[in-house]
Formats: sequence, C-alpha cells, structure tokens
Amino acid sequence: MPYNIAMVSDFFFPQSGGIESHIYQLSSKLIDRGHKVIIITHAYKGRTGVRYLTNGLKIYHVPFFVIYRETTFPTVFSFFPIFRNIVIREQIDIVHGHASLSSFCGEAILHARTMGLRTVFTDHSLFGFADAASILTNKLLKFTLSDVDHAICVSHTCKENTVLRASLDPLMVSVIPNAVVAENFCPLSYTPRTHDQIPISPADPRPSPTPIGPDDTITIVVISRLFYNKGTDLLIAAIPRILASNPNTRFIIAGSGPKAIDLEQMLERNVLQDKVEMLGSVRHEEVRDVMVRGHIYLHPSLTEAFGTVIVEAASCGLYVVCTRVGGIPEVLPQHMTTFAKPEEDDLVVATSKAITALRSNKVRTDRFHDQVKMMYSWRDVAERTERVYQGIIGDISPSEFYGHYPEQGWDLSGDRVRSFALIDRLKRYYGCGVWAGKLFCLCVVIDFLIFVFLEMWFPRANIDIARSWPKKQPMDKPRTHTIRNNRT
Amino acid sequence: MPGHLRVRRPSPTTVSFTVSNASPRSNSPAKILFGIQILLRALLFCCVITALSARMRNLFLLQSDNMIQWQAIWSSPVGAHVCHLVDKYNPWVITVVSVLVIYGVFKRGYTEESLFVIRGFGIQTSTSSSTYLSSAATRFIPTTQIQDIVIHEAFKGFEVRFYLAVIVEGEPDVLVVFPQLLPKREILEEVWRGSRRCLYDAKS
Repeated sequence: MPYNIAMVSDFFFPQSGGIESHIYQLSSKLIDRGHKVIIITHAYKGRTGVRYLTNGLKIYHVPFFVIYRETTFPTVFSFFPIFRNIVIREQIDIVHGHASLSSFCGEAILHARTMGLRTVFTDHSLFGFADAASILTNKLLKFTLSDVDHAICVSHTCKENTVLRASLDPLMVSVIPNAVVAENFCPLSYTPRTHDQIPISPADPRPSPTPIGPDDTITIVVISRLFYNKGTDLLIAAIPRILASNPNTRFIIAGSGPKAIDLEQMLERNVLQDKVEMLGSVRHEEVRDVMVRGHIYLHPSLTEAFGTVIVEAASCGLYVVCTRVGGIPEVLPQHMTTFAKPEEDDLVVATSKAITALRSNKVRTDRFHDQVKMMYSWRDVAERTERVYQGIIGDISPSEFYGHYPEQGWDLSGDRVRSFALIDRLKRYYGCGVWAGKLFCLCVVIDFLIFVFLEMWFPRANIDIARSWPKKQPMDKPRTHTIRNNRT
Repeated sequence: MPGHLRVRRPSPTTVSFTVSNASPRSNSPAKILFGIQILLRALLFCCVITALSARMRNLFLLQSDNMIQWQAIWSSPVGAHVCHLVDKYNPWVITVVSVLVIYGVFKRGYTEESLFVIRGFGIQTSTSSSTYLSSAATRFIPTTQIQDIVIHEAFKGFEVRFYLAVIVEGEPDVLVVFPQLLPKREILEEVWRGSRRCLYDAKS
C-alpha cells in the first residue's frame, strides 16, 4: 500500500553533505516504489517556496530563521501552523525526521504526534555524554524520541549510542545503513562485468591492471571537512612522519574548514608543498575525480556514525586506511581496509602497512567496485525503510515487525504501538526526568491546545488538497514479488 | 466568504473570468436586501452632509441666496434640533466621525478580480478597488509578452496557497492573477484551462 511520506530536516540541498544526499536518494527510491514523498526544510539563500526536483519530489523551503550552521532557531511551536497546513494539503500519513541537531525535525515529530500521524526518526550522528552541550542535546533528543513510533540508525554503533542517549527500547530502533550510488564512483579503468557474480576465488582470470612497482609514486587522498571531529589534528601530526618514512608518496587533501590554516602552517614548517596538494573544498560530483587520482584513502576521523565517504572511496578502487571509531568498522569488509587506533603513532604505522601491501600488489583494488556495488544500494535502503513504515502503520503485525521470541524466556512486553491518546503521551513524556518531564508535559499540553485552536481558526475544509505528481508504473514489479516470496 | 467564479464568453475568441467574494444576488430576498443596503448608504450620506453643513452654517451658509432659504432651514424645528445637537460636540469629534461614516458609505463590501483574455491580442487582469470612489486597478499584457500561464504554490502567512501566475517576458517577477482573493485550486484550474484554450488552442 503506498504511503504519503513527509521527510523533515533542516539539512537539504542546495547545501551538500551526507544527510542531504541520504534524504534525496531515499526519497527518490521510495517514489520509484510507488510512494508519494515530500521534503520539508527551511529556506536557503535565494531558495524559498515550493520546488520540484526530478522524479516529482516536492520540496517545501519554509521561510525560517537560521541561527548556526544552517540550523533553525528552536521555537517549539512557531512551526506548527504551517506544518499542519502542509501535512493536510499533502495528505501525509508518515512524518520522517532526519538528524538529531535539526530543530525542524524535532518540532515536526512533536506536532505530527499531536495531529495523530505516525513518525519515524533517523539519526545520522554520534554524540558524547559528558560535556554540557551533549547533555543538553541529549535532553532534546529524549524529548523528540519519547513519543516517536520508530527510530532508524545508520550503524549498530549509532543505534547503541541513540538507545543510550534517549533511553529507548532497543527493539524500536532499526539499523539501516547508508548507501552509495556506485555508478557515480567508478574507478578510472573500469570495464563493466558481463556476469554479475563476484569471483571470490583467487583464480580470477583478469590480471591486476597496473601493478605498482617498488619505486612508483603512491598517492594518498584525504577528502573531509577540516574540523576537529574529522581528525584533522591527527592528520597534521601524521603527514610529515608518513612522508618521511615512505619516499615516493604524495598527498591530495580536499575540503575546507577551520583547521585548514593549521594544515597549511604544518606544510610550510616542514616544506612539504611539493608533496602535499591542497585542493580546497570540492563539490560532491567532483569527489570521484579527485578520488581516482589516488591509491589509498586516509580517513582519520575521531567520530563517525557511518562514514559514507569510505564506501565511496572503496567504490572508486582505493584501499582505505581509517580509524577504528564509531560505526566505521561495520562499513567495509576486512580486505578493503587497514584500521588504526585514533592516535598519531598507530595511524602512521597503519598507513605504512597499507603502502607496503599495495606495493607488494597483494590487494586487488580493481575488484572493490563490483563488491561495493553488491553491498550497498539505495533500493535496498528504501525497501528496508518501507518495511519500517509498514510496521508502524500496522500493515504487518507487531509480532512480525518487532520479532517474536517466546522460547527465549521473554516476549513482547509493553506497548510498542504508540497510542495517540493525550494521557498516554503525557505519561511517556513525564518519565523523561524530574524537571524535564514536567516541562515536556507542559510543552505537549500547549501544543495540543494550539492544535485545537488551529482546527477552529483554520478549518480543514478550507485547505486545498494538493495534486500528487502523476505516478509512473513501478518498473521492478516482478523483482519485488520474488523478494516477498523469499521472505515468507 | 470564499470566492466564486463567473465565466463569460462574449465571442469565441474572448473569455472573461471573474472571481468575487460578494454574496450572489440570485433570489428576490437577496435583491431586496441589496436595495435596502443602497438606500441605507444614501441616507447615511445625507445625514452626514446635513450635520456638517449645520456645523459650518456660521461660516458661509447664513446669507440666503436666491436658491435656498438657509435662514429658514436653520430656524425650522428640525433644523434647530440638528444645530443644537451638533453644537454640543467638539468640531474634531464631528470631523473624525463624519470621515469614518463617509468611508463606510463608500466602502465596497466585497472584492472582485477578473482575468480577461482575447485571442491574438493579450490578457487583462483587474482588481476592484476597496471603495466605490476609485476605479479598478488593471494591467494589460500583450500576447507577445506572455511566456506562459502557470499554477504554482507559495507561502502566504501561515498557509501554502495556490496561485495563478502569468510569466511576463523581461520582468523579474511573475504577475499574480487574483492576488487578493487567491481562490481555491478547482477555480484556478478551470481558469487556467479556459485561458490557455482561448490563447493557444487554434481549433476552438
């Protein structure tokens, strides 16, 4: 049964990044599967109002006040009238919020529950527990997630983090990883295979296309925003040592940020300008062209929920050196990566190991692209997200959706199907903390009163229903049919 | 009162769409009510004029000229009563009240907006003014300057509203048709179809 889904987030194009492309790819694949998807985000500079993207994806750029790094000012209630109008005119069934730092998403989930809609939340990032900012963010997240129907995380580490931060029932959190459009990240000399079986056996007839000799130059690519949490300090410390211990090595660094100045100072102090090339910020569609210039992708991030960029790098046929933090170890199989602890010495050792492995031609990087293509696809992400939607709407039974384990001594306890009754919602919010619980309850009650007021002031009957984009016939009907059969 | 649409086709190559939020005067009670309303407005206007002239009679309405016997009017029982009443109040109060009443008398109780399409010539939009004293604001666009007529959505206040817009060549902004009433989508779609058929469809 097709659903009408509203994706709500502060982050969407024209700004580029992981969350933005996740929302776009997921939405367009859901549209391909016959659903109707709209996206609600705030107005960007020169982009206000209603727009359509390819595929009939409709974007509402709501004019709103932006405070910091494209996040809107959290006002809790001011978004409600316009949100209600959009939801009614588009006949939305499911509100899907993205990113925990987006105040739009949090507000939308609160209002959607008040209006009696099912809600899903996708968390894209990891947070700490210790410092003041994290505590505040975690309280806000708890407020958002107390009443959400289901949460989705991009990796198992992220799930653990979210469950702890928002004290959720782990069964209400699903893990659906990101994906990449493998076609956009092809290696330089790539010939599509005629048969789509991956030859895992070592007896692959194709030889390694260009064996790397002992004196050939190895290029290491780093593409990341140059922020503290992306591990730029680690990179600054490691680059001179890697270059000193491995001759015939070059670096290409793309990205910009507050740490760029430190990086440049390091280059000047060590006179490495001829060995390290700084490209500044690159657009997402140019990332592939930068990646294919190198042999190794170095990812020194200190925290990462998923790390789409290392999948993109592997898809381009690069050997990946990365820190063992967050969800990164779940992302790629062992033979594509070398892991390091997030410290200077270990990063240097791991990079040197990777360079040695490449020089000895032990790593078949030319096969990475086909393997990544088999592992990650947005169609798969959309299918799994659709199952979450079916579960919360009630098209599949709770015991099938949440799992049924009577033989393991425990069973479905508690009510996972969240009722819309105000008293039940208040009970859930009241448990959030001594003071916070009361404050949250107050917010929910006010929100409900605003809703009643809006129903009187702007009656539903006066709101025009928007026309849906004409649907095309789903192309992969036989394929989904076979999948259903396999599952049952 | 939501707007309703009236379509007129005086000739096969012209069509006029009028959207108005006035209550339709189709049955006889509504017509009688409308007549009473006009009478009431006229009466109010007369009252205001009388009160004003009574107030200012000392300035220039004392000498009896050959047309009206002013002296006689002011000394008649009704005239004396009016003069007495008016003299009790501050002149500023009387000025403000009469300006308000005159505004109310001439205020149009409804908005009427129209789109007039002539094949091979152009389109004209008009929006009725808020009072009966000034004429409607109109704008004519020749066919050569019309790039397209579209329906789109935009944020207005706390709502998302549909609007019909004409894209005019060489202008940065589109021209919104029915800018004040912003009628419902069904009306806009009918107007959109009708105007495009009239403008571009050679067969009809």
